[in-house]
Amino acid sequence: MQQNSSRRRIALGLAALLIAGACTQAAAPAPSSTPRPTGALVTAQPSSAGGLTSDGKILVRWFVGLGTGGNPEQLGAESAAVAKCNAADGPCTKAGIKLALEVYQNDAAYDTLATQIATRNAPDIIGPIGVRALNGFGDQLLDLSKYVQAKTLDTTGIEKNLVDTYIVNGKQIGIPYAVYPSYMYYNKALFKEAGLKEPPHKVGDKYTMPNGSQVDWNWDTVAQIAKILTVDSKGNDATKAGFDPKNITQFGFDFQWTDPRGWATVIGGSGSAVAADGKTAQWPGNWKKAIQWYYDRLWKDHTAPTQDYITALAGGNTFQSGKVAMDFVHTWYTCCVYPGDNTSPVKDWDIAVAPISLDGKVTAKLHADTMGILSSTVHADAAVLAMNFIMTQPDIVVTYGAMPAKVADRKAFFTALDKKFQKLNPTKIDWQVASSMLSYTESINHEANMPNFLKSDAAIKTLQSDMLTNATLNIDTRLGDLVKTLQGTFGGS
Amino acid sequence: MMLTLARRESFWGFAFIAPWILGALVFTLLPMGASFVISLTNFDPRYPDAVQSVGFANYQRMFSDPLVLQSLAVTVKFAALMLPLTLGVSLGLAMLVNNPKLLGRNVFRTLFYMPTQIPIVATTLIWQGVLNLHTGWVNYVLGAFGIAGPDWLNSTVWVYPGLSLISVWGTGTMMLIALAGLQSIPTELYEAARIDGAGKWAQFRNVTLPMVSPVFFYNLIIALIGTFQYFTQAYVLTNGRGDPDNATLFFNLNLYREGWRYYDMGYAATLAWLLFVIVLALTVILFRTRSRWVFEGAAR
Repeated sequence: MQQNSSRRRIALGLAALLIAGACTQAAAPAPSSTPRPTGALVTAQPSSAGGLTSDGKILVRWFVGLGTGGNPEQLGAESAAVAKCNAADGPCTKAGIKLALEVYQNDAAYDTLATQIATRNAPDIIGPIGVRALNGFGDQLLDLSKYVQAKTLDTTGIEKNLVDTYIVNGKQIGIPYAVYPSYMYYNKALFKEAGLKEPPHKVGDKYTMPNGSQVDWNWDTVAQIAKILTVDSKGNDATKAGFDPKNITQFGFDFQWTDPRGWATVIGGSGSAVAADGKTAQWPGNWKKAIQWYYDRLWKDHTAPTQDYITALAGGNTFQSGKVAMDFVHTWYTCCVYPGDNTSPVKDWDIAVAPISLDGKVTAKLHADTMGILSSTVHADAAVLAMNFIMTQPDIVVTYGAMPAKVADRKAFFTALDKKFQKLNPTKIDWQVASSMLSYTESINHEANMPNFLKSDAAIKTLQSDMLTNATLNIDTRLGDLVKTLQGTFGGS
Repeated sequence: MMLTLARRESFWGFAFIAPWILGALVFTLLPMGASFVISLTNFDPRYPDAVQSVGFANYQRMFSDPLVLQSLAVTVKFAALMLPLTLGVSLGLAMLVNNPKLLGRNVFRTLFYMPTQIPIVATTLIWQGVLNLHTGWVNYVLGAFGIAGPDWLNSTVWVYPGLSLISVWGTGTMMLIALAGLQSIPTELYEAARIDGAGKWAQFRNVTLPMVSPVFFYNLIIALIGTFQYFTQAYVLTNGRGDPDNATLFFNLNLYREGWRYYDMGYAATLAWLLFVIVLALTVILFRTRSRWVFEGAAR
């Protein structure tokens, strides 16, 4: 009897173990068709104790993947820069440094870096990395102020407001490397087809409406012309009584690949989800109006695509589909308006300045990539030297599709872009619009840090999906709920 | 000293399963122990030096976390729809491809099984297009019959039937297992039933169902565990956000979010233990009810 009981226990234990095994498998995402367990594209050679190579050089590891940097042509430029630094007469070799490159797939990079930090095997340099991603690791970064003051890190020729973007909690956690101002991409063919004038290329210029009247280039104007540019399957535009919002074939406007803080900043003007005390959640009045404005375009006017349409329009790359007339995006979108194989590109496009925000000012949100050094580095001076070398290699920044932070380098960048688009777009893009938008960036970055950043950011993204999928939201109530949720996440885990 | 036959058999039995036991100890039991220890801490891999014991605070938090209840509700709702559907469809398909009157049975078996060979991420992306409100094939077909198809993937109601359709498409493995069960039924039983005057329905109810019930039971256990493992489709469709309005925030996705999006490993480990306890409890309950509905010959 006792033997039976113990056998039963053993059997139950083994069954539990089997189930545990099944659950363990469940925790990991299923593999994709191409197995890449670590997500590593390039891995550095292992260091010996104290961050030294076997031949006694200081090993400086450069971790790429948290932003751009993993495309094949980028890998080539990055590897070439590392080789140049490590050459016999290169600055790394002269300083007794061995620079090593590690490149990871973007979707695996965050977990890889967190694991490396947890196992005390952290790299020295990370980047390029954007403001949002930086906030995930922000307090792990070395204060670079003394290197900037000593000019070991060269910020000459970079606008001061851009340098200050990276002062977080009094620490200079990065210096501007690549900047991506935002502006309005517009499909010239769709404007022409609708008989509309193109939007202005200079801040302060008026927009000429179809009746000849001159009006401010603001978001009300965008809403009006978006109606004319939104067309259903029977050819009715959104101003017509018979317009069918269930069968739209062309949209007036989209905010591609951004989130509610981005929408609110551009439409409503600068603001923050965190009050000045740094711990109270808020959603400013101009941001409330902005969110309501966008929600009305989604569900009232039907001039901006909702989630179901977004998925149907080139898998989310809506402007590239050729069925969106205006799209407010950053310079990095030049990556994706360029067609890959078997795509039907939008050929005839240009860029216009940001409309006047609801607060009466022009606000063009800014994305910016930087490089940073983890505070765990044991060779900070060497890491700074290597980072400065990387950041001054012109080939890399061009291959990243990034507008250089240094003003003097921008001309070459736009020339390279013109060359890239030459085959598709006989008319040159008016790149001065992009440069001019740098003077109208937000006073608080729309991706700025918040307490408990990752969870707070996720809460804001839930608002985004609600807005894009739910036609019956009361925006005031929903924003009130968001503020309560944010206050909860600000206060703890 | 001569060993008895029983002892020799035991010795060799243990010798053969020793690698598995060793593997289970090292790769399952040890990590389980580690996960329990982690569940008692505030471990965040980004701050390895700040790890502290928090006692059972994560367990307390779990019981007051609305997302835990919501993710459980999502999982249960989906299970209530998906389990009967996939079990029923797999059995129906197995009966179809087991029918001697079906021409090209092997071709159909291959066709029905083939989707399971497609990587789940690719499958999900394909279905994302198929289920699109405006351009999806499903709604095109419904439209041909004058039915306005729903927004399968962006509606908090229709997302479950939508995901269930994806699951039904991938029932090939369950179909094969059910087919094996059907083929193991002695034909004499059907002959005896026919002689007794049983029609097709009576044969299905009194012969087929009882005889395949052990296989059905196996499929149910595996599918149930699979439902609590449900992750990839929800992750791919919503980029891990659980859209729309947390309607696809499955338990496993919530666990993943806590651990790998928010780096709250201590809490994620706690959720993993809750998942383990739930799956274990459901499995035990199913095994307890087994004798009431699973036909196991004389042992019933």
